[in-house]
Amino acid sequence: MPGWFEGYELEGWFDEAVTADGGLRDHYRSVADALDELDLEALARAERRRDAAFRTQGITFTVYGDDDGTPAAGGIERTFPMDLIPRVIPADEWSFLESGLVQRVTALNRFLDDLYVGGMQIVKDGVVPRWLLISSDGFTPEAFGVPVPLGARCLVAGIDVVRDEHGSYRVLEDNLRCPSGISYVVENRAALTRVLPQLFASERVQPVDQYGSMLLHALQRVGPPAAGDSPTVVVLTPGIHNSAYFEHVFLASQMGVELVEGRDLVVEDHVVHMRTTQGLRRVDVIYRRIDDDYLDPVVFRPDSALGVPGLMAAARAGNVTIANAVGNGVADDKAVYAYVPEMIRYYLGEEPILGNVPTYLLWDPEQRELVLDRLDQLVVKPVAEAGGYGLVIGPHATDAELAEVRQQIQDDPRNYIAQELVALSRHPCLVEDHLEGRHVDFRPFVLSGQQVEVVPGGLTRVALRRGSLVVNSSQGGGSKDTWVLAPDPAVEQDLDAESEPTVVVTSGVRTPGLDADGPDPAEVADAVLGSTS
Amino acid sequence: MLARTAEYLFWTGRYLERAEDTARLLDVTYHRLLEAVPGHEHEAWLDVLRSVGLDDEYERTGRPVTPDAVSAFLVVDPTNQGSIRQCVTQARTNARGVRELLAVELWEALNSLHLDLQARDLVRDVRLQPHELYGFIRQGVQSVIGVADGTWVRDDAWRFFMLGLLLERAEMGVRSLRIRQSHHRDDDVHEWYATLRAASALGAYRRRYGTFEGEALVELLLLSTTLPRSVLFSLRGAEQILVHLVADERSLALRLLRRLRAELEFADPAELVGPDLEATLEVIEEQIRDVADAVAAESFLYRVDLDLHELHLVPGGPGE
Repeated sequence: MPGWFEGYELEGWFDEAVTADGGLRDHYRSVADALDELDLEALARAERRRDAAFRTQGITFTVYGDDDGTPAAGGIERTFPMDLIPRVIPADEWSFLESGLVQRVTALNRFLDDLYVGGMQIVKDGVVPRWLLISSDGFTPEAFGVPVPLGARCLVAGIDVVRDEHGSYRVLEDNLRCPSGISYVVENRAALTRVLPQLFASERVQPVDQYGSMLLHALQRVGPPAAGDSPTVVVLTPGIHNSAYFEHVFLASQMGVELVEGRDLVVEDHVVHMRTTQGLRRVDVIYRRIDDDYLDPVVFRPDSALGVPGLMAAARAGNVTIANAVGNGVADDKAVYAYVPEMIRYYLGEEPILGNVPTYLLWDPEQRELVLDRLDQLVVKPVAEAGGYGLVIGPHATDAELAEVRQQIQDDPRNYIAQELVALSRHPCLVEDHLEGRHVDFRPFVLSGQQVEVVPGGLTRVALRRGSLVVNSSQGGGSKDTWVLAPDPAVEQDLDAESEPTVVVTSGVRTPGLDADGPDPAEVADAVLGSTS
Repeated sequence: MLARTAEYLFWTGRYLERAEDTARLLDVTYHRLLEAVPGHEHEAWLDVLRSVGLDDEYERTGRPVTPDAVSAFLVVDPTNQGSIRQCVTQARTNARGVRELLAVELWEALNSLHLDLQARDLVRDVRLQPHELYGFIRQGVQSVIGVADGTWVRDDAWRFFMLGLLLERAEMGVRSLRIRQSHHRDDDVHEWYATLRAASALGAYRRRYGTFEGEALVELLLLSTTLPRSVLFSLRGAEQILVHLVADERSLALRLLRRLRAELEFADPAELVGPDLEATLEVIEEQIRDVADAVAAESFLYRVDLDLHELHLVPGGPGE
């Protein structure tokens, strides 16, 4: 039987599993060996079992306004397809990623605490301009003075990481509000161990199913002081029609806490209670999966039926902790993103371990001119959008689209950024009867409680359609089980001795007055990921 | 537990039981009529509609009372909230709203039943293989209930689920007996069979009683303490559950349920049968509904936008 990797085409891309000269990377050898023991029929069987399992378990997300005649309001449930070939991250790469993520989220927590309760020292010291923060959609004056124990404002952060044409890891986006996807990380692992247990036989894959207890632990640490050692934690969901409802259920059940809707909560004397069959019961920590705008109709959108009147006042009084903290959106802002490496230097006195994607800030006349000259080679993004909305990919845009975005940039330069196109790495996927490369990104999840820690794994999203660049679940994206290998004490020393560093670190941030080099001339690949928050 | 999730669970139980009971009624009616004298059909199908309490709804559709039309209405009609498919969908939607409280196997059993019913051509199956279809539905629901029995920790979530299920079963049992009792003539043994079969009670009846008589039927279907689908059996189960659910000894729901249960416990079947039987059964039916209403008022209060301070004034509840 011929090997599955025979005839696998790189087509010029950086590949996660195969080196430029066509050899298999070491950390994929055991997966490849296990695959070669399986014929097509065995893999097809595994795919059928996988589909049946996801369907029966109802591991779904909801799509709205589909074209099959379903009323848009109700939405329809879809499964999120998981490709059978796992992504493998070797121990040394992981420890690099992990330290970079911990560093980044630590700095972001410090920044947000500085902004909302710390008197904005970073602005006073001239590192980030005040006007930039104040003009951000995510900037939330209502959050001023609202304390968060331990300063753990990004209790759960989903940091979108991509690999470029050299294999360097770069942060594409920080998701600091309600990042979703962790349920797929755990469910993908559970599914793959059931349908293809052979793959795991000779690898030391770090488990991911401890996420629920890690999250509960972090949430309990940030309870208000009065709640003592075991505060009552709940998960707040917009309800069954939300596209990520499955995940909300997943989180509540993994933690063994109540899943509440806004109407289940009442605030009295600045204390939050839930309505139970036995009367009211006090709530201390709310892991909310509702956007800021809908959280409290007294303070934010008055028409929100999802929220809890009086919640912000209770938080301000220190009687309840809302996680993630209100106002984190300011650090999600794609223009503020450009300053994260500076934040790391400012708060931690360290050089950033993980670089950004080269980013241009368009209110700066010099950078704007540069961008407008090369508009057809760059990516333009609105600063406040997630999910790939409003994204214009230069090489793929029509002249009319380019003219429109040019006008928009000139009208409101603060509202846009431009980035170099990233030649996203590819990963082998099972396509019909053979393996083909597909573009991938990666979202690890970082928890902040007593300390900042990273779940050893994450969501690898795949653009499953050939040539497609979009990994979003609503647009034909899929996912992969992602393995982080445990360090093997026996071989660790050998590795240290012989291997070249596998990771090239580049700090590609472009902020005004910093880093005046021009962009790399565009051997630019046409892969760009949108991402969902 | 959360008042809202308690209500979801209560209705999950009710919807599931209603789906099974409807399938049972349809099954026995269909097969009973295969061997019946022509002419009874119209009345028999009307009885099915009355037994599930949907006769008025059906009349409003303006459709004829034929086996296919009534069956389709009760099995698959999306406009009929009481159709079997809608009941299972509702049960599944409610369960999805409280998934974090359900054992994984339970959710999977219910979700599979839902998906299978969505995938089947039910309109065709109602006409061509009704027995297989109704058996499939009955087994599907029973496997959900069986998984619940075998895996669900006996917490309040389980109690609300079972309470809804048992109250629905009791109410359907009483109503179906009320509708069918007028058909139980000495010369038509098939009618007795159909009534007993719908409650999985024919074998038990045969072993215990020799001949078909009204007193024995009431004793078994209404008052038996050993037949799982008898009304008293269901109410006893509901009472044992409710005792654990209510914090307040003066709970209206508990008092109403205990009174009704005691009345049946000590009833004399010989006194019950006779010209007043139908009226008596109707009163029992209402009493069961009152219990369910009191449970809702006492435990699912979140709906009511009451002043907070009133929330503490529960004794007796709004029913008193």
